[in-house]
Amino acid sequence: MELPILPTSIIGSYPKPRWLLRMYSLYELGRLPKEDFEEAVKDASVSVLREHERAGIDIPWDGEMGRSEMTEYFTAKISGFRFYGPVRVWGNAYFNKAAAVSKLEYREPLVLEEFGWVKANTTREIVKVPITGPYTIAEWSFNEYYPSKEELAFDLAKILNREFKALEREGASFIQIDEPAMLNHPDEVPMAVEAINRAVKGVKVKFGLHVCYSNYHLFADYFDDIKVSQFALEFANRNFRDMDYLKKLTHQELGFGAVDVHNPRVESPEEVAKAIRKVMEYIEPERLYVNPDCGLKLLDRRIAYQKLVNLVKGVQIVRRELARSGKETVPFRRSV
Amino acid sequence: MIVPALIGGLPRPVSLSKKLEQYYLGRLGEEKLEEAYRAHTKRAFENLRKAGIRVITDGLYRWDDIFNPFIRFVDGVEVNGLFKFYENNFFYRSPVVRGELSLRDNPIPEWLSVALDLKEEVYPGATLKAVLPGPVTLAYHSINEAYKNLDELVEAYAEVLRELLKDLPLELVELQEPALAAELSRATKEKTDEVTPDLAKAVIERLARVKRIWVVTYFGTPRVLPEGVILNVDLVEGSVPQEYRGELGIGVVNARETKMERRDRLVDRIKPLLRKHGKLYVTPNTLLDFLPESVAWRKLKLLGKLGGE
Repeated sequence: MELPILPTSIIGSYPKPRWLLRMYSLYELGRLPKEDFEEAVKDASVSVLREHERAGIDIPWDGEMGRSEMTEYFTAKISGFRFYGPVRVWGNAYFNKAAAVSKLEYREPLVLEEFGWVKANTTREIVKVPITGPYTIAEWSFNEYYPSKEELAFDLAKILNREFKALEREGASFIQIDEPAMLNHPDEVPMAVEAINRAVKGVKVKFGLHVCYSNYHLFADYFDDIKVSQFALEFANRNFRDMDYLKKLTHQELGFGAVDVHNPRVESPEEVAKAIRKVMEYIEPERLYVNPDCGLKLLDRRIAYQKLVNLVKGVQIVRRELARSGKETVPFRRSV
Repeated sequence: MIVPALIGGLPRPVSLSKKLEQYYLGRLGEEKLEEAYRAHTKRAFENLRKAGIRVITDGLYRWDDIFNPFIRFVDGVEVNGLFKFYENNFFYRSPVVRGELSLRDNPIPEWLSVALDLKEEVYPGATLKAVLPGPVTLAYHSINEAYKNLDELVEAYAEVLRELLKDLPLELVELQEPALAAELSRATKEKTDEVTPDLAKAVIERLARVKRIWVVTYFGTPRVLPEGVILNVDLVEGSVPQEYRGELGIGVVNARETKMERRDRLVDRIKPLLRKHGKLYVTPNTLLDFLPESVAWRKLKLLGKLGGE
């Protein structure tokens, strides 16, 4: 399968429509029947999917409309976790941090239904399924049961592997593992790598790995050990500084974060194009995808949309330049 | 004697965060938001009284992290992207130092006056302390584009803090200085420069001439031991340096895990230090922001039970 060169994608989350947030509140208060809530989520999902497509994104997702948060959504579906209440992540943003209080078990599919819905409703051939990785779920949970974090992370890898196999059976072709915490403890990075490799073992889909707000110089030493074909990293937040570590990315693809998700200023297409030209000094265009730095959910919805629009316009500027040397498409590579 | 104390803030209650959310959306006026801050602070003081915590802070409900909003009141600093606070799933907005630092007009003294009035109303027996980021930790967490090296930046931040200290209506001021104990985590960025330990010590001791200073360290054993201050040491992830002889606070309950500590084991841990130091402040080992609110209060109640002779 061929994609336009510099395929555009998203990282995962997108601002939930205000009316959907209201549905969430009503549902939590027990004032909305489950089937009505689920219908609202599905309607929002299609609405955001269309928004991604209208912006021109080649590989969209539904903005995680059915997910309350990136770890909570998963820990709520895995047996062995309990919740004590929300914990602040930054500013005024919170998440329900779970505590592992007994052995973790696969209880129900995590994203299978979500994938089926998006797949059935998209106009694109490929969608990207973002799933929080085993190390990050372990790191962002309290551990009251396992003797070590390693055992906790490896049990989570087993659970995710089962889900990935189910996704493959249902026709998923691109799964992104989100591991924003994998560099938290430099001495635990090998454990995180092992957990990721166990999670993807025996699954023949394209795997991307998203890591953000971390020390990429540390990360770069592990590029070759991680069994994924793409790294989706954040660059705009750090103003495209300090990219030398990319020299170590010798064969996998890069998902290039070209717009900042924590700043409401909308980057112009020219700024996006300039950033892409800069990263092409390190990575040839055939190995480049372009995406926002991270999930867009904390932005105002109109701003998030405009950022995607300008991201695509910026990509189009560079595509026109590349077309002059005959570079117009790239194959969709499941492995590298 | 054992004195239960709070360090840093309390988890910001969800009810307050909802008010802030409404404020950011323009659906709540500044006056109403201020009312919410006061009501929540008052409630926190009442709960701290019930828990038996004797030295308290205002809960830092107006703060997003230990640097913000302080750095917004410093000329020469721009507030930039998000960075991980050590290895936690907790992020701060990073100060980017673009020019010479100086203190701007700021509401921090007024916020503390309000808190002091509320404390007098509901918990007059407690000692209220201010909380500010320390100069060394500020420097390590800044992106320095203006000063020659980190030592110079530490000095510049210390001068700004000295100005602010003079204006505070409280005599006791906590400086958040995890950088004295914790290695700046490679999780976030490469360390390119270091603060000279002797300079760090001297700068903090200079600030201790303006106000009584409580230096809070965590995520390791402090490598800099300022004199003439209360030094808080994280006993969960570090230890009290043998050579330290000054006033001591010890972080004995783990503020990064929900599992509750056993009181008898805490007492066993405290006893040898109590024999050596005579008086001890017992505190959480780090910021309570890392815990759900309900668990944080359970841990504070446990601390309160340790208090007494």
